[in-house]
Amino acid sequence: MTPPPALPAALEHPHETSDSKINRDLLSVMDGVSPGYFLLLGTTILVVTAAALTWIYQIYIGLGIAGYTHPVFWGVYIVTFVFWIGIAHAGTLISAILFLFRAKWRNSINRSAEAMTVMAVMTAGMFLGIHVGRIWKAYFILPYPNQRGLWVNFRSPLEWDTFAISTYATTSIVFLFIGLIPDIAIARDRYAGWRKLLYTGLALGWQGTARQWKAHSRSVLHLSGLATPLVLSVHSVVSWDFAMSIVPGWHATIFAPYFVAGAIFSGFAMVLTVMIPVRRVFGLEEYITNYHFENMARLILLTSLIVGYAYVTEYFVAWYSGVEAEQSAFWFRAFGPYWFSTWTMITCNVVFPQLFWFKRLRTHVPTLFVVSTFVNIGMWFERYVIIITSLGREYDPAVWGIYTPTWAELTIFAGSFAFFAMLFLIFMKLLPVVAIYEVKELAIHERAHAAEGAH
Amino acid sequence: MPSLQGVFDAPGPVAEAAKRLKNRGFSDLEIYAPAPFPELDDVLDPKPSRVRVYTLGGGLLGVVTGYAMAIWMSNDWPAMIGGKPFAAIPTYTVIGFELTILFGALATLLGLLLVGRLPYGSFGKNDKGYDKRFSSEEFGLVVGCRERDVAEVDALLRAHHAKEVNLVEA
Repeated sequence: MTPPPALPAALEHPHETSDSKINRDLLSVMDGVSPGYFLLLGTTILVVTAAALTWIYQIYIGLGIAGYTHPVFWGVYIVTFVFWIGIAHAGTLISAILFLFRAKWRNSINRSAEAMTVMAVMTAGMFLGIHVGRIWKAYFILPYPNQRGLWVNFRSPLEWDTFAISTYATTSIVFLFIGLIPDIAIARDRYAGWRKLLYTGLALGWQGTARQWKAHSRSVLHLSGLATPLVLSVHSVVSWDFAMSIVPGWHATIFAPYFVAGAIFSGFAMVLTVMIPVRRVFGLEEYITNYHFENMARLILLTSLIVGYAYVTEYFVAWYSGVEAEQSAFWFRAFGPYWFSTWTMITCNVVFPQLFWFKRLRTHVPTLFVVSTFVNIGMWFERYVIIITSLGREYDPAVWGIYTPTWAELTIFAGSFAFFAMLFLIFMKLLPVVAIYEVKELAIHERAHAAEGAH
Repeated sequence: MPSLQGVFDAPGPVAEAAKRLKNRGFSDLEIYAPAPFPELDDVLDPKPSRVRVYTLGGGLLGVVTGYAMAIWMSNDWPAMIGGKPFAAIPTYTVIGFELTILFGALATLLGLLLVGRLPYGSFGKNDKGYDKRFSSEEFGLVVGCRERDVAEVDALLRAHHAKEVNLVEA
């Protein structure tokens, strides 16, 4: 077989050299797929398949294959659900709150963080279905007219959660899509074939006219205004799933701010864990600089201190309350059979991030990667500690029990990471992973200022 | 009717050129920009954007829907729990709040589509004055004018640092 004739240079590189450097650099992320990419995507699909088969088996057999044992009926599924909802908070924080604060450094990381938000909410949402067991009855949680004339219980935090999570999912998708429209138009003008067709459809005829930009920037502003209280509310509502009950270790007023700070903490760590390799592989050092990473590290340090303060407060309140059940629950956490998870949580979330006090370590990429990975691990264990240890020791010593996750739960848990990675890998090849127009906005401003200075 | 397309490198000159042309009575103007710039927002249409009306309307509709739905449904199947009123207003604040955001966000999207007139044009076809350089890093100012004004518009665009002026429509 003869090798195919070499392509003319113009076809090899769909972005002509006359195009701006920003377009060429940032669109090049979407071009071509290397064997390494296929290997990675294949691995994630394999793990997702294993998890999907496990879920199907669990639907068939029943929740008995999970490690649930009296009195612990919220296990790894709920732990992982809360973990992913937490991860989802970084995107909206970076896009909405830092936008309102006019923190311009957000511009090159906001897109990937917004995408991670949508993907993390999708991953988390699945866990509600996995956890309920009888998935075919999951829609009972929605208020829909039915023959029995029944309605849902709006006093229940679980019902609030349904509204909070579905609102969060919808709003994040709207936010991501609105931000993508101008970038899709950039891609539309530069690709041929099926991509051209796809981007032409998704760009909605965007041309960047004054009218379109005005409506666009107003929409982003108003959505930021809506998303800011939303992001604070979502993890507050998730925390109330616990705090509204009277389980020792859960029934605490500090839970809402504690969970929100933890969510931001873990979300930022996840953005670092994902973006450090992405930056390296695609050579985006010019757009995602160490300055961006350093700012993220500062926010991780700040939220680490808030989370650490919450841990101390929890223990203090347990001791100071004089409530025996509360005191023993916290003693059990630190020195009971789950001591490992508690000390992992404290080491990863409070001790390691203190390295970020030092500028040398904040700007040292390998350290950032390692610490952010530890933070992810620590934040998963935080939810494990809160959920499992509290349920394992409620008021009546006669019903205390020990929960151990089974292979089924661990497979589905691993599948959630593979699912998230798979979605992100596909996203990277289909849509711009850095907000091109926002990077240009800064670049053109800087150029104009430089020109003014020269005159 | 001819249209002239001026290509610029920065938003400032585009805004000034557009203002001058508008003052001289040219009304068929269109600006193309690669990114949002506040100086270009109010040149052609100084009125505040109406997207805010949609956001506010959606949010108000959402808060009313949230509370009304929860209150009505609680009374439709009255369940006495702990001697509390059927409709427990404080706990319904979460529902009211979430629907405020949900409806507000969807209405904002609707506002963007209606106010920004999206989807725009016919599938795969751009304006005649559009150029893919405008989704790169250049700015465009397209002026529709009468035959006899072409020279004047051309001179004005060049006086405002247009790096090239093209006749896009005869």
